[in-house]
Amino acid sequence: MMSFRGRMARYAASGSKGIAVGRIAWRQQLAYKTDLLLRASFLLLILFVFEQLWSAAYGGDTSKVIGGFTLKQIVWYLVFTEALTLAVPPLAARIEEEVKNGEIAVRLTRPMSYVGYHYASYMAEAAFRFFVHLAVGGLIAWALVGAPAFGAGWADLLLLSAGALSILFLLHAIVALSAFWVEETSGMSFVLNKLQFTVGGMLLPLDLMPEWLQRICAWLPFQAALYFPARAGVQAHSADVLRDLAIQIGWLIALAAIVTWIYRRGVGKLHVNGG
Amino acid sequence: MSTEANRVGGIWRFLLACWKANFASALEYRLSFFLLAGMMLLNNLIWVFFWQLFFSRFPVVQGWELRDVMILWALSAGGFGWASVLFGNYGRIANIVSSGQLDVYLSQPKPVLLHVLASRMSVTAAGDFLFGWLIFAWVGDHTIRGFLLFVAGLLLTGLLFMGLMIVVGCIAFWYGNSEGIAGQVFNSFITLTTYPSDIFRGVARTLLFTVVPAGFISYLPIGLIRSIDPAFLIAAVSVTFGLMAAGCTLFALGLRRYASGNAITVRQ
Repeated sequence: MMSFRGRMARYAASGSKGIAVGRIAWRQQLAYKTDLLLRASFLLLILFVFEQLWSAAYGGDTSKVIGGFTLKQIVWYLVFTEALTLAVPPLAARIEEEVKNGEIAVRLTRPMSYVGYHYASYMAEAAFRFFVHLAVGGLIAWALVGAPAFGAGWADLLLLSAGALSILFLLHAIVALSAFWVEETSGMSFVLNKLQFTVGGMLLPLDLMPEWLQRICAWLPFQAALYFPARAGVQAHSADVLRDLAIQIGWLIALAAIVTWIYRRGVGKLHVNGG
Repeated sequence: MSTEANRVGGIWRFLLACWKANFASALEYRLSFFLLAGMMLLNNLIWVFFWQLFFSRFPVVQGWELRDVMILWALSAGGFGWASVLFGNYGRIANIVSSGQLDVYLSQPKPVLLHVLASRMSVTAAGDFLFGWLIFAWVGDHTIRGFLLFVAGLLLTGLLFMGLMIVVGCIAFWYGNSEGIAGQVFNSFITLTTYPSDIFRGVARTLLFTVVPAGFISYLPIGLIRSIDPAFLIAAVSVTFGLMAAGCTLFALGLRRYASGNAITVRQ
């Protein structure tokens, strides 16, 4: 039986390993400037197109409120959802590749949890990308619809974004770990991305969707990954934020349990030849 | 005259042989073929779902209704689809030129550009093409006139995609590695062809009908399918054939400058 002090030392060691992995992932991001630039230019195009679309839908009226959103709020909402979506690294493709080429065998021998390693690397990369896209998208939106005077919304956005990125990690990890059985995960990744895109409220806030769809979305984890932080960013209501946070924690626990179960079952049946 | 007819006949036989070989090669991995094509079909249907949600809240936007946007998606995806199935290399010219893969085409007694274009079939694009017809069956005008206009729209769209990308791909003859810029132009162009042209105003709208001629696709549902706008149609046809002609000329000029290393390439 490990003593309390021993257990704490183990957690501290895991934490410092995670931070070290995160630091490396962060530095790697700085090395790929062209990639960053290409994603930023894509963001520019998408935000510009959607600003034009929403302006047309609102009839150019900046004071009109539809589904609780003004034109400015809806464009900034899009900046936040895009920053979160584009922040997600291709986790499934990476794990699939590790399983296919046997690199996973090397990872498993390291004194660090396999899922924990990917989480640390993912979060560092995602945080870096999130802030870069937020800055680029913010500049574009500022120029298009004006300054983001959302007050406490910024704090709510950051608070809920940490949980949102973790939920996105767990959702992508479920798909990624299925590589232990199916080896080809691109189809499932595709479906997951499309679910984020629609029922996650990436392009259209859930408030603007039909009632029946809103009811379905309320029972799915995708709203907690995109809609919650983006809406909180543009409409600061502390009561809603606390409720959103509670729902996020609920989903984090449920999804973490699923990931742990899949990982344990998958790693038990893994065979790596040669290498 | 008969020599010319033989030459044209020969080119057709050559193209048919290319397409047959590409199709047979795609069917070699049958499951993968249907999965990839199916995924693209699903992707487009999800976009249609998004537009349905959007128009359920805003039924008319700048004169555009849901049906117009669905037809726009049918034309854009369908036109992109046939061009990419039959001439799947048109988006990869910059890569082929800069990596020295043209050598293998130059060594064969066939029209180089045509040979390059027809040497690849995009499997996912088959799903795009199918999607185009599915949407036409769903919301299209099912008269002979409606059918002919839709086919004309598909033809124009596919040729415009090819013309633009051949021109952009030819940059590689002069500036070497330009895959990044070609890829960006390609993605931006595809994106812009899927939004109603009338949501854009001012300079953006001017750019859409000049520098990035996506407007000639994204106005088709209004200027061709809903009712024929002669001025738009003449401009669209002129720009399309102008771009094709410019692409062919630039490619021929570029070939004179083309040089490669000693990389050994094979046709797959």
